[in-house]
Amino acid sequence: MSSPRNAAVCASGAAWCALAAILAGLGCASALAVAQTSSMFSNLANPAIGMNALFSGLAAHNLNQPYGMQFDEAEISLISVVDPYWTLTSNIVFTPDGVDPEEVWVRSTKIPAIQLKLGKIRGTFGKHGMLHTHAFPFIQAPIVMSNTIGEEGFKDAGLEASWLTPLPWFSELTGGVYQAVGPDDEHPLDLGSTRHDNVPYLGHFKNQFDLGGETTLELGQSFLQGRGSDGHRHAAWGADVTVRNVPATSSNRHGWILQSEYLQKTSTVGGSTIREQDGGYASFQYRMSQIWWAGIRVEQARRSFTDFVVDDVGSPVPAKVTRASANIAWMPSEFSFIRLEYSHAKADAGIHPTDDRLAVQMSYTIGYHPAHAY
Amino acid sequence: MKYLIRSIFVSMVILTSSGAPPASADLKVATSLTDLASVAQLVGGKHVTTQSLCRGYEDPHFVPAKPSLMKAIQHADVFVSVGLELDAGWLPLVLPGSRNPKIQPGAKGFVDASEGVEVLEKPSGTVSRAEGDVHPLGNPHYYTDPKALEIVADHLADVFSRLDPTNAVDYAANAKAFDQKMEASLAKWQKQMAPYKGAPVVTYHKNFVYFANRFGLKEFGTVEPKPGIPPSPHYLSEIAERMKKEGVKVVLYQPYYNADPCNQLAKRVGGVAVKVATEVGGVPGTADVFSKFDTLVASVAGALSGKSGGQP
Repeated sequence: MSSPRNAAVCASGAAWCALAAILAGLGCASALAVAQTSSMFSNLANPAIGMNALFSGLAAHNLNQPYGMQFDEAEISLISVVDPYWTLTSNIVFTPDGVDPEEVWVRSTKIPAIQLKLGKIRGTFGKHGMLHTHAFPFIQAPIVMSNTIGEEGFKDAGLEASWLTPLPWFSELTGGVYQAVGPDDEHPLDLGSTRHDNVPYLGHFKNQFDLGGETTLELGQSFLQGRGSDGHRHAAWGADVTVRNVPATSSNRHGWILQSEYLQKTSTVGGSTIREQDGGYASFQYRMSQIWWAGIRVEQARRSFTDFVVDDVGSPVPAKVTRASANIAWMPSEFSFIRLEYSHAKADAGIHPTDDRLAVQMSYTIGYHPAHAY
Repeated sequence: MKYLIRSIFVSMVILTSSGAPPASADLKVATSLTDLASVAQLVGGKHVTTQSLCRGYEDPHFVPAKPSLMKAIQHADVFVSVGLELDAGWLPLVLPGSRNPKIQPGAKGFVDASEGVEVLEKPSGTVSRAEGDVHPLGNPHYYTDPKALEIVADHLADVFSRLDPTNAVDYAANAKAFDQKMEASLAKWQKQMAPYKGAPVVTYHKNFVYFANRFGLKEFGTVEPKPGIPPSPHYLSEIAERMKKEGVKVVLYQPYYNADPCNQLAKRVGGVAVKVATEVGGVPGTADVFSKFDTLVASVAGALSGKSGGQP
């Protein structure tokens, strides 16, 4: 309703009145538009989001650190279909040291028999190297990992193609090329030459056989090579074997995994190949019930570095380290676990001939979490 | 080096081509559940071959995503998922691992069998895992309702007709025959179950909801306190007391669940724990969806009658 004052203004200036009417109309239209188009910001195509938080405690008398609990990492995963041709997966890891875009890659969905992975990927090398930290079967990674391809596997930007061969069983051949990288804490293998012809490359061959309806045998061979910052060729080799049993009528209550893996790091200098660090592990995990798992592992790493093997001034020294670990895990649901682990190790160098430690780890997952590989 | 790369590429193309299935009119249909394979076979008839990745006596929530399953569907023309996230724990690994573009979600060969089914127990508010491993899209165990399988059959006939138009008439006729047989069978099963309308039963997991809804049973409770959470002794005592108070005597569980707590409960209340198949192939004599329901209805009716102890 117009007030007498407004009517007077209109009478004295029809042009201003018309302008006001237009502006008012536009205002109404704008408000209406906001109301009608709020769905333009739809979240229906948002990616699946999840997070895993990992905490741990360690009591190790040889280490120069207080016993106690610590926050290890929070891994945020975002996964979504990009378009009819690609699916994108990302795992961003927050640790006390900072943020690491651990994995950000796309996977092809339209190519028959071949799958392409492109981006920051976890190179397909071995078995343990393919696992995220919260999926490690034991709290501590095998010592050989951090001395060959990296404690959490070989993580680098690159392109991988994996081919499911036409053989009658599952037989997968993977090849990849990567960015020059290392050596650093995450990449013990020196592939960091800046020469233009340095394109580190990987090969992986995996075969899996069903031994009846409940047990499988998996065999894998891996190879990674490139030129190092010292100008020499550096390589890592690996072989793994896994026998796994999942009873058909109690797949979430019973089962066992027997696994062994060997890794080796080499350098080629002046035409001769030198074996550097090498070692392996054998582990047995047993599921006792829906909520209880237990495991034992023995391992050895040669010419290798690990946290308790230091000289009298505290500097790391290489040694042959043999370690045995045992753990038990309580999983009240699929989304959380607490596990307790004891390990005993001995080394042939350094000021601590033996090492005993007790570790506890807690894992919690919220939101969407992709299934772990078999 | 160039020669080596070229040789590898050429070998891959040749081997990949030679690995392709021979030209054939048959549709190769893979499914996540045996019930879906059974319906697909009855609708597809001689024009399809079927296989299920989950076996009938295996928990469909926890199928190990073995690489051999990826290999099994490498050349499938159609993949039928049960949908509603029942197979979400393993299918996202198996489907991409097959490297088969024909059956990836969004492709013509991917079928969500739950489309068109009236879904029960859809959460009305926020989904919280404080309630256990709940299915956020609703209860996915619709294959325990014969009527729901009619919808699946019609859906599959449409899909098969689109992918293989030459045999569309056969698919439509087979689906119609399936629906007619299911209607006739349903009348028979309803007659068998009629005396037990409103009878209370305890089930291990909430996967009898559709069956109970169709046949008028009352789901009194579950052996697991919440989906995916195993029962504690305290919880078992609590539900046993409630069962005694209400006179509930029948506990139903599938072959893939822990029989111990079910038998304990039955013993405490002086009732019976019955192993039944809700999936085709779960127990002997359940080779297709019709024999599955024959056996299931006979087992449940037998247990509720107190005469046969659940033996069909």
